[in-house]
Order: sequence, then C-alpha cells, then structure tokens
Amino acid sequence: MFRKIFLSCAAGLLAVLGASSASAEDGGLNDMQIAHIAYTADEIDIQYAKLALECSDNADVRAFAETMIRDHTAVNVAALALLKKLGASPEDNPTSQSLLASAAAKRTELKALKGVAFDRAYAANELSYHQFVNKTVESTFIPAAQNAEFKQFLRTALVTFKTHEGHAEKLVKKLGK
Amino acid sequence: MAAATSQRVKVIRSAVLVGLIALIAGGVFSLATSASAETHVVEIRGFEFFPAEVNAAVGDTIVWINKDVVPHTATAGDGAWDSGLMETDDEFSLTIEADTSAGDYVCTFHPNMVGAISVE
Repeated sequence: MFRKIFLSCAAGLLAVLGASSASAEDGGLNDMQIAHIAYTADEIDIQYAKLALECSDNADVRAFAETMIRDHTAVNVAALALLKKLGASPEDNPTSQSLLASAAAKRTELKALKGVAFDRAYAANELSYHQFVNKTVESTFIPAAQNAEFKQFLRTALVTFKTHEGHAEKLVKKLGK
Repeated sequence: MAAATSQRVKVIRSAVLVGLIALIAGGVFSLATSASAETHVVEIRGFEFFPAEVNAAVGDTIVWINKDVVPHTATAGDGAWDSGLMETDDEFSLTIEADTSAGDYVCTFHPNMVGAISVE
C-alpha cells in the first residue's frame, strides 16, 4: 500500500518535473517561469507540512514539518524580495499548474491515512519530493537561469533543499517500514 | 601617649598602603584578564558553523551570526544554553564561564548541523 502510494507519487512528480526539464532545456522556460515553479514547489511543501501538523502526533514528524514551514517560508520571502529588487514578477505556467494538481491529489491520499501509516507516507513523500525537486533545480533550473543574482539565489536555495532531503532520509529510516 | 598615637598612625598608614597596593594589584589583574579575553565569531552559512570548532578560555565570548536565509539555532548538546531562533543576521553571544557546557552543540532545526566548543 505505502509502496504503491510512494511510487505513484514519485512517478507523477517525475513526469511533471521531467516535462519542465525538457521545456527549460529547449529554452521554453524563462527566469520568471522558473521562479514561479520554484515558489510553487516551496508552497506545496508548506501545504504538506501543514497537513502533517494536522494529522500527526509523532514528535519527529511534527518537528520536521515545522522546519519545512519555517525554511520554505523564509526562502520564498527572500525570493520575492529578490524579484522585487529585480523589478520582476513570477510568471504562472503549465508546469506550476501540473505541480499544484499533483500535490492536491497527493494530499488527498495522505489525508486518508492515520497514525504511523500517515507518518511513514508523509516522510517517504518528503524524501521523494525533495529528491526530484533538487535534481531539477540542480540540473535544469540553475543552468537555464539567465540572471546572475537569480542563478545564485537558486544555488543557495538548493543547499537548503538538499539539507531537507538528508533530514527526510533520516526520518524515513527512523520511522521504519 | 604620644608614642602610642604615633604607633597607631603607623598601623593605619600601613593598612592604607596595603589596601592601595591590593587595589592597584587587583585593578591590574582585572585589566590583564579583560585584555586577554577573546571574542570568537562563528558564522552560520550554508547550513554549517564556521569554524566548526572553537577553542575558548574562561572569560572569552563566542558570537554566532546567522548569514543564511533560513532561521537557525546554536544549542548546547545538553540544552544548558540556547540561542533560540536566529533570523538572518541575528547574533547570539555566549560568555564562557568555568561551568559552561562545552562539547558538541547543534542547530535544533537542522540536526545535521553540529559544532563544538572546547574550553582551555
């Protein structure tokens, strides 16, 4: 059951991010679209974390979720400050819309779970989500970004997200299968 | 009578002299102590403490500065001291005392972040 949910989520996310990667490599995504996708990805993880705080009593899961809210909120505040400084606005795009749709479906799946089943599924999703987002940011968005300051911001954000990936990996191991 | 008075004056003078010497010596010692106390700056950036290890003496001060976009803490492994949440550019100072908890410390938000203090 959990494996099925995990693989389903991973496959869906891979398809969405794969599509965005191809678009960026083709020159189809500009900086403002990349900014919108990155901002959306942050917001999605904040929503997952808020769900975890609603559904979980596990201290480790709750601490992780609080860190996700704190860090992704801080990254997005900094992103908006940079965009304001650059006089630019994030630009909505099909990839952001696809990400939001996949995330809504994933939240529905998670909401159906209780107790340790929820905790394990949430942690597994956090690991897979950060793995795929990080891969896309590192291999596609950073090389594609045109503005030097924005490119550096993505590099800095990637350090944050990679730390989260490591944290999620430990959480998955601690919660067991 | 005059000899006794003269003796008391000598005793008082001696006491005052000893007191003055003690005060001066104490002052000098105090100045020497404060002059040798160091401030160690630890920058938090890229989810790491720089430097990762600080060798401090009693009387020294360690100052942590958060240069990351996200909040961090600097917290003793045993919880004896804690910066609390540090936003970007926030600072936290810890003066090392004889009983200050040394050894490893962490960021409670990001357990992979570990630093260390050794007290000489």
